[in-house]
Amino acid sequence: MTGFVPLTVDTLSITPRLNGDTLHVSMSGAVEMRDPGDVLNPYWTLVDEEARRSNLKVVELDVRDLNFMNSSGILTLVRWITRCKSHGDGYRLVLQYDRNVTWQRSSIPTLAKLAPNVVVSAEIDG
Amino acid sequence: MITERLSSDYVEMRFGPRWTYISCVRRFVASFFMIGLSDKERAEQISMAASELLENAVKYASEEEGYLKISIAKADNEVDVCVKNKAEPHHINTLRRELALIQSGQPEAVYLKKMEEAAMTEGQSRLGLIRILFEAGARLRLEVNDGEVSIHAIFKLEAA
Repeated sequence: MTGFVPLTVDTLSITPRLNGDTLHVSMSGAVEMRDPGDVLNPYWTLVDEEARRSNLKVVELDVRDLNFMNSSGILTLVRWITRCKSHGDGYRLVLQYDRNVTWQRSSIPTLAKLAPNVVVSAEIDG
Repeated sequence: MITERLSSDYVEMRFGPRWTYISCVRRFVASFFMIGLSDKERAEQISMAASELLENAVKYASEEEGYLKISIAKADNEVDVCVKNKAEPHHINTLRRELALIQSGQPEAVYLKKMEEAAMTEGQSRLGLIRILFEAGARLRLEVNDGEVSIHAIFKLEAA
Protein backbone atom coordinates (compact mmCIF):
# COMPACT_ATOMS: atom_id res chain seq x y z
CA MET A 1 0.00 0.00 0.00
CA THR A 2 1.51 3.36 -1.03
CA GLY A 3 0.49 6.98 -1.14
CA PHE A 4 0.97 7.11 -4.91
CA VAL A 5 -2.44 7.35 -6.55
CA PRO A 6 -3.49 7.52 -10.20
CA LEU A 7 -5.07 10.62 -11.66
CA THR A 8 -7.50 11.00 -14.55
CA VAL A 9 -8.72 14.40 -15.63
CA ASP A 10 -10.12 15.44 -19.00
CA THR A 11 -7.88 13.89 -21.68
CA LEU A 12 -5.04 13.09 -19.28
CA SER A 13 -4.26 9.95 -17.30
CA ILE A 14 -1.39 9.49 -14.87
CA THR A 15 -0.45 6.10 -13.46
CA PRO A 16 2.19 5.66 -10.77
CA ARG A 17 3.85 2.27 -10.25
CA LEU A 18 6.29 1.57 -7.43
CA ASN A 19 9.12 -0.89 -8.03
CA GLY A 20 11.56 -1.11 -5.12
CA ASP A 21 13.09 2.31 -4.61
CA THR A 22 12.03 3.52 -8.05
CA LEU A 23 8.70 5.13 -8.85
CA HIS A 24 7.57 5.02 -12.47
CA VAL A 25 4.91 7.61 -13.34
CA SER A 26 3.30 7.21 -16.78
CA MET A 27 1.39 10.03 -18.43
CA SER A 28 -0.93 9.42 -21.38
CA GLY A 29 -3.35 11.46 -23.45
CA ALA A 30 -2.79 15.22 -23.59
CA VAL A 31 -2.30 18.15 -21.23
CA GLU A 32 -4.46 20.74 -22.96
CA MET A 33 -6.64 22.09 -20.16
CA ARG A 34 -6.86 25.82 -19.58
CA ASP A 35 -5.42 25.62 -16.07
CA PRO A 36 -3.59 22.30 -15.72
CA GLY A 37 -1.82 23.67 -12.63
CA ASP A 38 -5.07 23.40 -10.70
CA VAL A 39 -4.76 19.62 -10.71
CA LEU A 40 -1.14 18.95 -11.63
CA ASN A 41 0.62 21.25 -9.15
CA PRO A 42 -0.94 19.58 -6.09
CA TYR A 43 -0.49 16.16 -7.69
CA TRP A 44 3.25 16.65 -8.37
CA THR A 45 3.64 18.06 -4.85
CA LEU A 46 2.06 14.92 -3.46
CA VAL A 47 4.35 12.69 -5.54
CA ASP A 48 7.38 14.73 -4.49
CA GLU A 49 6.54 14.63 -0.78
CA GLU A 50 5.69 10.92 -0.82
CA ALA A 51 8.85 10.08 -2.78
CA ARG A 52 11.01 11.91 -0.25
CA ARG A 53 9.12 10.42 2.71
CA SER A 54 9.69 6.95 1.24
CA ASN A 55 13.38 7.69 0.54
CA LEU A 56 13.03 6.78 -3.11
CA LYS A 57 16.17 6.92 -5.21
CA VAL A 58 14.58 7.54 -8.61
CA VAL A 59 11.31 8.89 -9.95
CA GLU A 60 10.82 8.21 -13.66
CA LEU A 61 8.30 10.45 -15.38
CA ASP A 62 7.37 8.73 -18.61
CA VAL A 63 5.71 11.09 -21.11
CA ARG A 64 6.07 8.88 -24.18
CA ASP A 65 2.31 8.34 -24.47
CA LEU A 66 1.54 12.00 -24.01
CA ASN A 67 0.69 13.40 -27.43
CA PHE A 68 0.73 17.06 -26.37
CA MET A 69 1.46 19.33 -23.44
CA ASN A 70 0.65 23.02 -23.54
CA SER A 71 2.93 25.64 -22.02
CA SER A 72 0.82 25.80 -18.86
CA GLY A 73 1.41 22.07 -18.45
CA ILE A 74 5.12 22.60 -19.00
CA LEU A 75 5.06 25.13 -16.18
CA THR A 76 3.77 22.46 -13.77
CA LEU A 77 6.87 20.38 -14.55
CA VAL A 78 9.06 23.47 -14.12
CA ARG A 79 7.57 23.91 -10.63
CA TRP A 80 8.22 20.25 -9.77
CA ILE A 81 11.81 20.45 -11.02
CA THR A 82 12.32 23.64 -9.01
CA ARG A 83 11.21 21.76 -5.88
CA CYS A 84 13.62 18.91 -6.67
CA LYS A 85 16.43 21.41 -7.12
CA SER A 86 15.70 23.06 -3.79
CA HIS A 87 15.84 19.73 -1.90
CA GLY A 88 19.13 18.84 -3.53
CA ASP A 89 19.74 15.50 -1.78
CA GLY A 90 16.47 13.78 -2.64
CA TYR A 91 15.58 11.44 -5.48
CA ARG A 92 16.78 11.74 -9.07
CA LEU A 93 14.05 12.71 -11.51
CA VAL A 94 14.33 10.98 -14.89
CA LEU A 95 12.23 12.43 -17.71
CA GLN A 96 11.62 9.67 -20.24
CA TYR A 97 10.55 10.81 -23.69
CA ASP A 98 10.14 9.56 -27.24
CA ARG A 99 12.55 11.21 -29.66
CA ASN A 100 10.04 10.63 -32.48
CA VAL A 101 7.50 12.99 -30.89
CA THR A 102 8.37 16.58 -31.79
CA TRP A 103 7.13 18.38 -28.67
CA GLN A 104 8.81 15.82 -26.41
CA ARG A 105 12.13 16.03 -28.23
CA SER A 106 12.16 19.83 -27.96
CA SER A 107 10.63 20.39 -24.51
CA ILE A 108 12.00 17.63 -22.30
CA PRO A 109 15.78 18.08 -22.71
CA THR A 110 15.29 21.81 -22.10
CA LEU A 111 13.44 21.09 -18.85
CA ALA A 112 16.28 18.88 -17.68
CA LYS A 113 18.69 21.80 -18.09
CA LEU A 114 16.89 23.62 -15.28
CA ALA A 115 18.46 21.30 -12.72
CA PRO A 116 21.18 19.15 -14.30
CA ASN A 117 22.31 17.76 -10.94
CA VAL A 118 18.96 16.18 -10.08
CA VAL A 119 17.04 15.89 -13.36
CA VAL A 120 18.06 13.95 -16.43
CA SER A 121 16.26 13.39 -19.70
CA ALA A 122 16.24 9.90 -21.16
CA GLU A 123 15.59 9.61 -24.88
CA ILE A 124 13.82 6.43 -25.92
CA ASP A 125 13.03 5.41 -29.49
CA GLY A 126 9.31 4.67 -29.39
CA MET B 1 8.26 20.44 -55.21
CA ILE B 2 5.81 20.28 -52.35
CA THR B 3 6.04 23.99 -51.42
CA GLU B 4 5.15 24.85 -55.00
CA ARG B 5 2.02 22.75 -54.78
CA LEU B 6 1.09 24.45 -51.51
CA SER B 7 1.95 27.95 -52.63
CA SER B 8 -1.57 29.30 -53.03
CA ASP B 9 -3.08 27.45 -50.09
CA TYR B 10 -4.26 28.83 -46.82
CA VAL B 11 -6.43 27.84 -43.89
CA GLU B 12 -8.67 30.46 -42.38
CA MET B 13 -10.98 30.05 -39.40
CA ARG B 14 -13.21 32.41 -37.49
CA PHE B 15 -14.89 31.23 -34.35
CA GLY B 16 -15.96 32.19 -30.86
CA PRO B 17 -12.75 31.64 -28.92
CA ARG B 18 -13.79 28.65 -26.89
CA TRP B 19 -11.10 26.65 -25.15
CA THR B 20 -12.59 23.37 -26.27
CA TYR B 21 -11.97 24.21 -29.94
CA ILE B 22 -8.22 24.60 -29.52
CA SER B 23 -7.22 20.92 -29.39
CA CYS B 24 -9.50 20.25 -32.35
CA VAL B 25 -7.81 23.03 -34.38
CA ARG B 26 -4.35 21.78 -33.36
CA ARG B 27 -5.08 18.29 -34.63
CA PHE B 28 -6.56 19.62 -37.87
CA VAL B 29 -3.57 21.91 -38.54
CA ALA B 30 -1.13 19.07 -37.84
CA SER B 31 -2.97 16.77 -40.25
CA PHE B 32 -3.27 19.47 -42.91
CA PHE B 33 0.44 20.27 -42.92
CA MET B 34 1.48 16.64 -42.51
CA ILE B 35 -0.19 15.99 -45.85
CA GLY B 36 0.90 19.25 -47.46
CA LEU B 37 4.53 19.34 -46.37
CA SER B 38 5.27 15.63 -45.85
CA ASP B 39 7.30 16.84 -42.87
CA LYS B 40 5.95 15.57 -39.54
CA GLU B 41 8.24 17.72 -37.43
CA ARG B 42 7.36 20.97 -39.23
CA ALA B 43 3.66 20.08 -39.19
CA GLU B 44 3.75 19.50 -35.42
CA GLN B 45 5.70 22.73 -34.84
CA ILE B 46 3.17 24.70 -36.86
CA SER B 47 0.24 23.11 -35.02
CA MET B 48 1.88 23.74 -31.65
CA ALA B 49 2.34 27.42 -32.56
CA ALA B 50 -1.30 27.71 -33.65
CA SER B 51 -2.38 26.09 -30.40
CA GLU B 52 -0.27 28.34 -28.15
CA LEU B 53 -1.35 31.50 -29.99
CA LEU B 54 -5.01 30.49 -29.78
CA GLU B 55 -4.65 29.78 -26.05
CA ASN B 56 -3.32 33.32 -25.58
CA ALA B 57 -6.17 34.73 -27.67
CA VAL B 58 -8.79 32.93 -25.60
CA LYS B 59 -7.17 34.05 -22.36
CA TYR B 60 -6.60 37.69 -23.26
CA ALA B 61 -9.10 38.61 -25.99
CA SER B 62 -11.45 41.43 -25.03
CA GLU B 63 -14.25 40.32 -27.32
CA GLU B 64 -15.86 37.05 -28.24
CA GLU B 65 -14.20 36.63 -31.58
CA GLY B 66 -11.22 34.58 -32.65
CA TYR B 67 -9.47 34.47 -35.99
CA LEU B 68 -6.78 32.16 -37.28
CA LYS B 69 -5.17 32.27 -40.68
CA ILE B 70 -2.31 30.08 -41.80
CA SER B 71 -0.93 30.96 -45.19
CA ILE B 72 1.93 29.84 -47.36
CA ALA B 73 3.98 32.65 -48.88
CA LYS B 74 5.22 31.37 -52.21
CA ALA B 75 7.88 34.01 -52.83
CA ASP B 76 9.45 33.69 -49.40
CA ASN B 77 8.91 29.96 -48.96
CA GLU B 78 7.32 30.55 -45.57
CA VAL B 79 4.31 29.52 -43.55
CA ASP B 80 2.68 32.33 -41.60
CA VAL B 81 0.50 31.38 -38.62
CA CYS B 82 -1.55 34.44 -37.67
CA VAL B 83 -3.96 34.77 -34.76
CA LYS B 84 -5.93 38.00 -34.50
CA ASN B 85 -8.12 39.30 -31.71
CA LYS B 86 -9.24 42.47 -29.97
CA ALA B 87 -7.38 43.23 -26.75
CA GLU B 88 -7.33 45.79 -23.95
CA PRO B 89 -4.51 48.39 -24.08
CA HIS B 90 -2.78 47.04 -20.96
CA HIS B 91 -2.69 43.54 -22.47
CA ILE B 92 -1.28 44.96 -25.70
CA ASN B 93 1.45 46.78 -23.76
CA THR B 94 2.28 43.61 -21.84
CA LEU B 95 2.51 41.75 -25.12
CA ARG B 96 4.85 44.35 -26.64
CA ARG B 97 7.17 44.14 -23.63
CA GLU B 98 7.01 40.35 -23.63
CA LEU B 99 7.94 40.13 -27.28
CA ALA B 100 10.78 42.65 -26.94
CA LEU B 101 12.16 40.66 -24.00
CA ILE B 102 12.10 37.25 -25.63
CA GLN B 103 13.64 38.59 -28.82
CA SER B 104 16.46 40.31 -26.97
CA GLY B 105 18.59 37.30 -26.10
CA GLN B 106 19.67 33.82 -27.03
CA PRO B 107 16.38 31.85 -27.24
CA GLU B 108 17.30 28.90 -25.02
CA ALA B 109 18.78 31.12 -22.31
CA VAL B 110 15.68 33.33 -22.40
CA TYR B 111 13.40 30.27 -22.26
CA LEU B 112 15.20 28.85 -19.21
CA LYS B 113 15.17 32.23 -17.48
CA LYS B 114 11.46 32.68 -18.13
CA MET B 115 10.79 29.17 -16.81
CA GLU B 116 12.64 29.96 -13.60
CA GLU B 117 10.79 33.24 -13.19
CA ALA B 118 7.42 31.62 -13.92
CA ALA B 119 8.05 28.94 -11.29
CA MET B 120 8.46 31.66 -8.66
CA THR B 121 5.19 33.41 -9.41
CA GLU B 122 1.53 32.51 -9.38
CA GLY B 123 -0.72 32.81 -12.40
CA GLN B 124 -0.32 32.26 -16.13
CA SER B 125 2.82 30.64 -17.52
CA ARG B 126 3.55 33.24 -20.25
CA LEU B 127 5.83 30.64 -21.81
CA GLY B 128 3.84 30.22 -25.02
CA LEU B 129 5.62 32.80 -27.20
CA ILE B 130 9.15 31.88 -26.19
CA ARG B 131 8.21 28.22 -26.68
CA ILE B 132 7.19 28.99 -30.27
CA LEU B 133 10.38 30.92 -30.85
CA PHE B 134 12.78 28.42 -29.30
CA GLU B 135 11.15 25.01 -29.67
CA ALA B 136 9.53 25.55 -33.06
CA GLY B 137 12.18 27.87 -34.48
CA ALA B 138 9.63 30.43 -35.69
CA ARG B 139 10.02 34.19 -36.06
CA LEU B 140 7.44 36.23 -34.19
CA ARG B 141 5.89 39.47 -35.33
CA LEU B 142 3.30 41.68 -33.64
CA GLU B 143 0.92 44.07 -35.39
CA VAL B 144 -1.50 46.34 -33.58
CA ASN B 145 -4.22 48.20 -35.40
CA ASP B 146 -7.03 50.05 -33.63
CA GLY B 147 -7.10 47.71 -30.62
CA GLU B 148 -6.78 44.63 -32.77
CA VAL B 149 -3.73 42.48 -32.17
CA SER B 150 -2.24 40.15 -34.77
CA ILE B 151 0.54 37.82 -33.76
CA HIS B 152 2.41 36.03 -36.50
CA ALA B 153 4.59 32.95 -36.07
CA ILE B 154 6.56 32.60 -39.29
CA PHE B 155 8.17 29.34 -40.33
CA LYS B 156 10.79 28.99 -43.01
CA LEU B 157 10.19 25.98 -45.21
CA GLU B 158 12.99 23.93 -46.65
CA ALA B 159 14.22 25.30 -49.94
CA ALA B 160 13.44 23.39 -53.10
